[in-house]
Amino acid sequence: MKIKSASLDPVTVQILRNRIGSLTDEMHYHFFRSGYSTIVRESRDFSCVILDPKGRILVAPPMFFHSTAYKYLVQRIYQIYGIAGLQDGDVFISNHPYEGNLPHVPDMGVVMPIFQDRVLVGFSGSIAHKADLGGTIPGSTWGQATEIFQEGILYPPIRYYRSGMLNLDIERLIYANSRFPETTLGDLHGQVAAIDIGRQRLQNICEEHSSKTVLECMDAMVAAAATEFRIALGKLPEGRAEAESFLDSDGVNYSKAIRIHVSIMISNGKVIFDFSNSDLQGRGPVNIRRGLLEACCFQVLIGMMDPDLRYSDAAFDTVHIKTRTGTVVDPESPAPCSSYMKTCMTVIDMLIEAFGKFVPQRAAAYSGGSGGGLTINWTGKGRVPRGNQYEIFGSAYGGSASQDGTSGTTVHLSNIYITPIEIVETEFPCLVTRFELIAGSGGDGRFRGGLSVRRNYKLLESATIIFRGDRAQRPPKGLAGGKPGRASRFLINPNSSDEQEMPITTTVDLEAGASISIEAAGGGGYGNPMDRTRTNRRRDLEQKYV
Amino acid sequence: MAKQNVRGRYRLGVDVGGTHTDLVLEDKKTGSVLIEKIPSSPSNPAFAVLEGLNCLFKRGIYSNEIDFFSHGTTVTTNALLEKKGAMVGLLINQGYRAICEVQTQARDEGNPHDHLFQRPPHITPPSLTQEIPGRVDYSGKEIIPLDLDEVEKAVKSLEKQGVRSFAICYLFSFMCNKHEKITEQIIRDHVPNAKVSLSCEVLPRIREWPRYSTTLINAYLVEVLADYVLELSEGLEARGVNTPRRFLMQSNGGVMPLSANMESETVHTLLSGPAAGVQGTAWLIGQSLSIDNIVTLDMGGTSADIAFIQNGNPLEHQEAIVAERLVAVPALDVSTISAGGGSIASVNAAGFLDVGPQSAGANPGPVCYGLGGVNPTVTDADLVCGYLNPEFFLGGRIKLDLSASELAISKTISEPTGLDLRSSAIGIVRMVNARMADEIRVNAAKKGIDLSGYTLVPFGGAGPVHAAAVAEDLDISRVLVPSKPGAFSAFGLLCADVMHDYIRSDLHPFFELSPDAVENSFMELENRARVDLVREGFSETDFKFQREIDLRYGGQGYELRVPLLSVEPPFSETDFCTLAEEFHQRHEDVHGHAARGAEIELVSYRLRAVVEESKINLSKSSSSDDILDTNCLFRNVIFDENTIIKTMFKPREALRKGERIRGPVIVEQIDSTTLVPPNWSLTVDEFNNLILERY
Repeated sequence: MKIKSASLDPVTVQILRNRIGSLTDEMHYHFFRSGYSTIVRESRDFSCVILDPKGRILVAPPMFFHSTAYKYLVQRIYQIYGIAGLQDGDVFISNHPYEGNLPHVPDMGVVMPIFQDRVLVGFSGSIAHKADLGGTIPGSTWGQATEIFQEGILYPPIRYYRSGMLNLDIERLIYANSRFPETTLGDLHGQVAAIDIGRQRLQNICEEHSSKTVLECMDAMVAAAATEFRIALGKLPEGRAEAESFLDSDGVNYSKAIRIHVSIMISNGKVIFDFSNSDLQGRGPVNIRRGLLEACCFQVLIGMMDPDLRYSDAAFDTVHIKTRTGTVVDPESPAPCSSYMKTCMTVIDMLIEAFGKFVPQRAAAYSGGSGGGLTINWTGKGRVPRGNQYEIFGSAYGGSASQDGTSGTTVHLSNIYITPIEIVETEFPCLVTRFELIAGSGGDGRFRGGLSVRRNYKLLESATIIFRGDRAQRPPKGLAGGKPGRASRFLINPNSSDEQEMPITTTVDLEAGASISIEAAGGGGYGNPMDRTRTNRRRDLEQKYV
Repeated sequence: MAKQNVRGRYRLGVDVGGTHTDLVLEDKKTGSVLIEKIPSSPSNPAFAVLEGLNCLFKRGIYSNEIDFFSHGTTVTTNALLEKKGAMVGLLINQGYRAICEVQTQARDEGNPHDHLFQRPPHITPPSLTQEIPGRVDYSGKEIIPLDLDEVEKAVKSLEKQGVRSFAICYLFSFMCNKHEKITEQIIRDHVPNAKVSLSCEVLPRIREWPRYSTTLINAYLVEVLADYVLELSEGLEARGVNTPRRFLMQSNGGVMPLSANMESETVHTLLSGPAAGVQGTAWLIGQSLSIDNIVTLDMGGTSADIAFIQNGNPLEHQEAIVAERLVAVPALDVSTISAGGGSIASVNAAGFLDVGPQSAGANPGPVCYGLGGVNPTVTDADLVCGYLNPEFFLGGRIKLDLSASELAISKTISEPTGLDLRSSAIGIVRMVNARMADEIRVNAAKKGIDLSGYTLVPFGGAGPVHAAAVAEDLDISRVLVPSKPGAFSAFGLLCADVMHDYIRSDLHPFFELSPDAVENSFMELENRARVDLVREGFSETDFKFQREIDLRYGGQGYELRVPLLSVEPPFSETDFCTLAEEFHQRHEDVHGHAARGAEIELVSYRLRAVVEESKINLSKSSSSDDILDTNCLFRNVIFDENTIIKTMFKPREALRKGERIRGPVIVEQIDSTTLVPPNWSLTVDEFNNLILERY
């Protein structure tokens, strides 16, 4: 009773969309389960997608902020190789933030064209954070880099497989330029296996429905998501709003904050985000490439209008993003880019502030942003772990017009798993000595900001510690009369006579026996603290939240 | 409780569902089966169970002849969903409270775009959490001694707040349980009748949050289950059902005696709801008919449950989310999607058709029920397509209003899309079928299953209506509809063994272990199992052990289970290589690649202790003399946009054993309707199952 629809209909399109969604899910599952590096396996910092022949995304992955990068990567591959240069069985890789629009150097993008009866029907792709791709420091994410060349070896889009044949030269090059070559290549092989599953499944779908129907449905899917966007935008009041926000510093020049500014204009069913008045690009790695800026704008549009809306690469006819070249949100090479997350968090909190004017019921104060990224490169001779230790921390949401912010969670673009203490201690020579919510870290307000987290470590071997954080000097803003959240801190030897507060972005060598403490920033409060209900005040005390 | 005591004539299975409580009574002497179906009593589920028993007694069954009682209940699941568990006090290492606050740190089930994300309320808020000085390291070595005074103070303080159920969650308790055990003793000394859940007993597995979460849920529900079991036992005894062989269904497809230690076992019932049907399929269809590979599709009013049986064994998973909370115990791997008869069809903003996730449920239900439903559902589309007989739904208990369904679909679907009524209705059917097929396809792929050669077994009221189309989409060429698809879960309760699962993590490079170390780890688990089973009344000769290990490549985040089928105890030197190769092979099957050069780590030891129980067998359908000779009805049925066929509706009682009918034909019975499309044929096997095959 299989129904063969020659023509496009609203049922078939939706059936294929679900089908592609479930096959993307399958790709993620395989890659995640076989991931080698800590970052992939516990943090899930990766995405897998199916793209149409134009490189447009069909179903956005859970790691949403990768969505906007793929079309640029595919465009660049077209520019270099031409459509005629693509063959069945080719696999392209790139980690290049400027040529391929990848978020930062450790993120390796892998793309495979999919052919059915010699017709290009789309691409299967994946982006995943690698353990190490060279550069000045282990992990390829140096918070004090001043040029992208210090952040790792750059691979512009290149052919990794040609017609199904592995190019061993490329693999040897990657191997020779990684501090953890096994893990790095293990993950890369997992990525290729995952996107190959995507290729096979899409070919199966083409066999069932014909390539023509599939291609038509792809167009319709992309267009449909754009239509939904247009309709949602049309419901917003017209007008203009602006906001500014600051990064503590660019990680190199600690004395200067970096200002980001947006002006949002809604009219005629279109929205324009104008970032032209933001500061010039930083010397340090806080600059973000176009793909990430787009991700920030869509994160907020979707979050403010309707969290169930889906992202579409075709929505750009209603969403316009203006920037000035050479600024922190539109940098020029060789500006470094590795600390992108704190900038994205700042942009998003700022956009939510500005957008609150259009959707007051979903307005919210600033989150604690990224809780920071910790890399530990173990240098002792006793217990020698397999690779470097890499963990990413959450913070807390800000209070909002309707509720207290959620405590101890990743926010916005980051949806990363914390590495279990039992895994950390079993694999690496350290003790996690404290893991607790910081009482009073949420900004006061009618609705309180969420509480952030403190995590302390004792080192059992000597190590180089690399920590990249933000919001130590500029704590998360409260809004509508709410108080700011508590600022973040990074300490060495906490609660001892030689306790030392370090800059929030730091690289430091420590001996065995030393301790560190990481304190993320709390969420800002929303609304006048005088308006907080007595019940909520009492509960805060009972639950030791203040 | 040894098997020689088995004397009575009947075995009883009672399954409590959301709307109905089903009883299946097996007469061991004759092989015949009695079925009772009565409305469930959600406010006090035991009531319907005992009421059902009374009905059986009225039919002439003597209570003292029931010597086996097996029960499937969702009391724990419901209590978790409705947040009606106990007040729980938590004892945790000092300085580590955030483990329960931060959880995974991610918004697992939440929408990552939603900055108003919230977690479900804490089972133990900070005010009920006590921090205790004391710490064990990764190797099991004590690095901070347990502060006994602090434990005592904490216990007293929690008791004063009214806590009677305690959870003890210390880091690395799976490596050394001393601190948790001492804490337990202090609680028992101070709080008589306290319920105590220890993380080292509920789930001695590495990764603190899954272990703590599971332990907290156990502590939250232990009283709920214990109270229910007590009430039920008293009710059974009052009615003369005195057999000690009384069992409760578990999530892993086995049963536990009602006398089991609920302080560590409660959480094992949480996913038992859909497990009985899958277990029933594995035994009644898989074993009895020698069908090794099966997909089950249990489609009811609001959702469809999907599970796989591979080489005769239902597949399991180790972690699941229930009511937004993480539970990490072995359970039959059942995935649920919002695709049921009541799923609502609508047109989205972009002009495309959506089916679900909203459901009209049982009330108001589909438009055609005439109970006030206004949104067209899958059942309405089934009716408009002609799959359901408006005069014979649930055996005629409900008359379906066809014109109301047509009107609702025209208005809600046809008008905005421009499709005609027929295309709209068939569109809804195609969509819901495709969603079920997608779910089966993606889950099969994740498990490394090739569906060709699989048989689809549908049950639940709506399963047999949609099964053939789903099978067709998946290139599955055989569908088997059991004889009583509506009461199938209760049959499953009579097909289960007593089964306890044990685990202990001890992460080590696999090839650095000595055979003795491995053997000792298993012996330790076996001793635990022995203590439990003997306490439950079994004797040493009753039980069998199955060993498994969890292996991973060094540094990988997740493990694969490798059963020790090909190696005999005691563990020997050569077994390492055998199992390593099985692991590589399995990794390749599941993930598409293996890393034969890489280091392998052993993460956990697992043991399953099994006491075999006798099981219900399919009775061969009696001769064909009671075949009804009825005049079959013919109606127009829509099979696709361009195919309308006058199709025969046949009562199930009118089918002859061995008879082969070419589709299209529709088979009606009280609890379900089976649709046989044009290119499918139908035969009735000797056990009264319907076999649909594509030709």
